[in-house]
Amino acid sequence: MGQQIVHRLLISFPALLGVLFLCFCLLQVVPADPAMIIAGPDAKAETIAAIRQELGLDRSIPVQFFEYIMRVLRGDLGRSIISNKMVSEELAMTIGPTVELMLGAMLIAVPSGLALGTLAAVNRGRLTDRIIMACSVAGVSMPVFFIGLILIQFVGFKWALLPFTGRTGPVWDGGLPSLILPALTLGAVLIGPIARLTRTAVLEVLGADFVRTARAKGLRERVVIVHHALRNAMIPVVTLIGLQAAFLLGGAVVTETMFSWPGVGRLAVGAIVSSDFPTAQGAIMILAVAFLTINLIVDVLYVYLDPRVQRR
Amino acid sequence: MSTEVLDTGFAAERESGVFARAGVLRRLVRDRVAALAALALAAIVVAALFAPWIAPHDPYFTDLTKVMQPPDATYWFGTDNTGRDIFSRVLYGTRNTLMLGLIGVIVGGFLGGILGILAAYYRRLDGWIMRLVDIMLAFPAILIGLAVAAIFGAGLPAVVIALVVATVPDVARVARGAAIGVMGQEFMEAGRAVGVSDRELIWRYLTLNCISTIFVFLTLRFGQIILIGAALGFLGMGAQPPTAELGMMAAQGRDFLFMAPHIATIPSCVIFVIVLAANLLGDALRDVLDPRLQT
Repeated sequence: MGQQIVHRLLISFPALLGVLFLCFCLLQVVPADPAMIIAGPDAKAETIAAIRQELGLDRSIPVQFFEYIMRVLRGDLGRSIISNKMVSEELAMTIGPTVELMLGAMLIAVPSGLALGTLAAVNRGRLTDRIIMACSVAGVSMPVFFIGLILIQFVGFKWALLPFTGRTGPVWDGGLPSLILPALTLGAVLIGPIARLTRTAVLEVLGADFVRTARAKGLRERVVIVHHALRNAMIPVVTLIGLQAAFLLGGAVVTETMFSWPGVGRLAVGAIVSSDFPTAQGAIMILAVAFLTINLIVDVLYVYLDPRVQRR
Repeated sequence: MSTEVLDTGFAAERESGVFARAGVLRRLVRDRVAALAALALAAIVVAALFAPWIAPHDPYFTDLTKVMQPPDATYWFGTDNTGRDIFSRVLYGTRNTLMLGLIGVIVGGFLGGILGILAAYYRRLDGWIMRLVDIMLAFPAILIGLAVAAIFGAGLPAVVIALVVATVPDVARVARGAAIGVMGQEFMEAGRAVGVSDRELIWRYLTLNCISTIFVFLTLRFGQIILIGAALGFLGMGAQPPTAELGMMAAQGRDFLFMAPHIATIPSCVIFVIVLAANLLGDALRDVLDPRLQT
């Protein structure tokens, strides 16, 4: 177990440094010299130089980078150029909604993917199987925003069943209706791949000896499928969900932008469009760290689900 | 003895030429879904290539007397919020979208292929290259697109970089896997024994034997790459107005979704059809050329 996780941590560290460096670069492209802006248009050269020294801008890039890392570790990500609020404060407000959206999407995608995949496997070769697999290919081929556009247009606008802009509050405080459409949009992308892999995995397990034994014992078919086949088929599925984390994160950025969902992704896109570099830097960093964390969690979960990994 | 083994090596190499394998095309044609997908994709590519000749109107000409018209006989796909002909814009947009995907897959496939094959051939490099690949895998493509767009400004180059970075690590892994398989073949050892140079061994023996696997994998990835490119376009990180790109067109139409749903829906549908056709064709190609890649 340790080895897997140590390996993942070893990869995460340079990746994290890479993220930090990218974000540091982002702060370097600010079009004007910050010292000159602070000093004002009529400032003397000495004043500007003094401010430069004070801000640490006269030091070499590696030193500045090191200082940047120290600042990030202290939680200081600078101030937004647009709102003048601390970037860390802005991020703190957006992380909750993004986590909520992703969890909501998983809550929709994982059970439906598992159910559809198992259903297809059990009915292998029959019409049900063909329909489910055709829908799965179609689902994989659909842009996230297309699903969102359709849901907004019909469920949100024409039939006026659910809200489709913004977030009315946390789930436990009447926010559930506003979460459904965004979560459905993001979750729909994942159902296809999960169903497809579940089908393959269940088919493989159904031919295994222990399933034959379970049937021979006279267990009901439902028990055999759910307790014996599906449980063992979960292992590749969990790995897939980990691999899909990139998808989920990218999809979340698009979904948040579409539904005006106040999450990190929308903050990042908005900041980039309005050249708010400190905010963009902070949001990108949080998203990258989130991605690395998801992968770490999946690795741990994998070991938990498949004890054989430990012994290897 | 060595010449005999070498001959089988060359035979294997010739055999695995992408379309040279006996009956690939025939088997593809027999698969009705794949044939249909190939036909649809070919039609779309031709339409995109000849956009300037096919387009009935100027894709950039705005006519404020004809805004947001639903599809009719003159404007097959209707007009957008500034009265531009959507059909013509879709043709030009498909051109940009396909080009982005192709550049991403070709450049990324080339770089990833080289990395993977070198990792398999030079065992000393293996650890380093694969760590690099792992680190690249740690960045979701959309995030790379956002970061690049933030640093260098939004535009098609930002999307291209993101798509290439998204392609390289996966291809490198697949290429390495395939190349390690080839490395174990007798003709590699024989080639080395008779003094074939490293360069020649890598190119003529190793690379040519891995190409069909890499090619199939890239076909499978093409659809995903198009989707990522379209998503970045949708977020405004890609093509800037008035340039037509399908993802960006969908984003522009979003503001008029309730008055004129066709502005956003039509470009989205076209992306869907392209990706669906590419995925179906990729699946069929894999089944015929390289069943090992099956998941």
